[in-house]
Amino acid sequence: MKTAIIIFLSTVVLYAISFGDEYVVISNSKMKDLSTTQIKAIFLKKIAVIDNLDAVPVNLGAMDPIREKFENKIVEMNFERLKSYWAKEHYIGKRPPVSMQSEESVKAFVKNVEGAIGYINAKNLDNSVKVLYRWSE
Amino acid sequence: MRYIALVFIFLLSLHAEEEYQLGKGVQIGSLPFYVGGYFSLDYKHTDNTDRYRVDDVAVMGYGDYDKFSYLIELEFKEVYVETHENGVKSTTHNDKLYTERLYLDYNFNENYMLRVGKYNSPIGFWNLLPVNILRETTSNPMSTNILFPKFTTGLNSSYMSYGEGELKVDVMLQHNNDISYEYNNYKMNEHYGFGVSYEKNDYTVKLNGGYFHNLNENIIQDNLYYLLLSAKYESSKYQILSEIGSQKSKNQYTTEYAGYIQGLYRFSEQHLGIIRVESYDDRVTAIDDDILIFGYTYRPLYPIAIKSEYQFHSQSDQNQFLFSFSVLF
Repeated sequence: MKTAIIIFLSTVVLYAISFGDEYVVISNSKMKDLSTTQIKAIFLKKIAVIDNLDAVPVNLGAMDPIREKFENKIVEMNFERLKSYWAKEHYIGKRPPVSMQSEESVKAFVKNVEGAIGYINAKNLDNSVKVLYRWSE
Repeated sequence: MRYIALVFIFLLSLHAEEEYQLGKGVQIGSLPFYVGGYFSLDYKHTDNTDRYRVDDVAVMGYGDYDKFSYLIELEFKEVYVETHENGVKSTTHNDKLYTERLYLDYNFNENYMLRVGKYNSPIGFWNLLPVNILRETTSNPMSTNILFPKFTTGLNSSYMSYGEGELKVDVMLQHNNDISYEYNNYKMNEHYGFGVSYEKNDYTVKLNGGYFHNLNENIIQDNLYYLLLSAKYESSKYQILSEIGSQKSKNQYTTEYAGYIQGLYRFSEQHLGIIRVESYDDRVTAIDDDILIFGYTYRPLYPIAIKSEYQFHSQSDQNQFLFSFSVLF
């Protein structure tokens, strides 16, 4: 019996450790469904117009840990590579996405601006925005 | 040149909504108009020659509105060159302002884009980022100078598709004279070219081909065809870049082959090591050469580059040391 309790408790603890936070890429409700490749292309400003709407990607602040997770997972570039990428894009006339300091600001912006797309922690999600992609870490 | 500087200073004095960061340009007021630029200084040493040069001084303006975006770049090229050859000093000045790029884009949707104006020909990888501050070595590979026209003045139509990877198809059309043709590597009045690239994860491959009508009287063949195959691998630590191609007239090869493979290693964010091997056989100039290049680049900030390189040529009198300082602003 004692062994069974230890195994059960160990399983619970391991599950709790392995279950990380969940994050979501969100858009204005008028946005069509997008693949991760399209989301990446929007955040790299390779796609400027989607479904006849101006695509407006919005980042969290440079030091925000959710931004780092998003850039590693979806954009597939770390902070240093993105710095060199945006310097090169400046030469061809493109600007990095605008940044906002809080998830609430991102959510409010995405809710109110057609073509807007951002990312937040899933625990801050509500039905005012559309979920394009989910991932957990 | 001073008028350009005055205009630039005036524009910078206008209130910008964003805080200025080096290498990102500055917004003019709240207009869809950003101003930036770059400059480079370089030094070259061979057995007989030392050359000091203020190479590029350029100002760019760009922006977007609705489905349109635009870019204009004006540049002074080789503003000041001082050469010491066998103990004899000579200097040249050039205060002519060139239109390096001038184009308007229209984005139909996520798949189609049309560009009209003068633009960097989307051929290979190197030619898309040809300025000193953005490339990894002071020198350019020979293949990027001799195989195809660096600039096209006309139309560029792009198709992009996003599946598991990213597919891009470019079509270039020129049937008119160049804008500022003095600054292109070929004086021409026709250019029809295509490009197909596919990018997935860290890998990209690209194929370009085309035809152009050369007006340079020093080159007898006027109808020239080119083909270029390019490949790139890039991770956070490494980059491997290779381009190889050929150019021919109707009857014979004008450049039988020209290509390079370059490896880059990032020791840290600021320190980069580069090795490049080049080879080419140019029938027009009757020069064939093999080149081994070792380079080191220091970027205290990404928009500031201090580069040095040493080139070993199979024609040993061409061995040279290059040093440059460049800034993107």
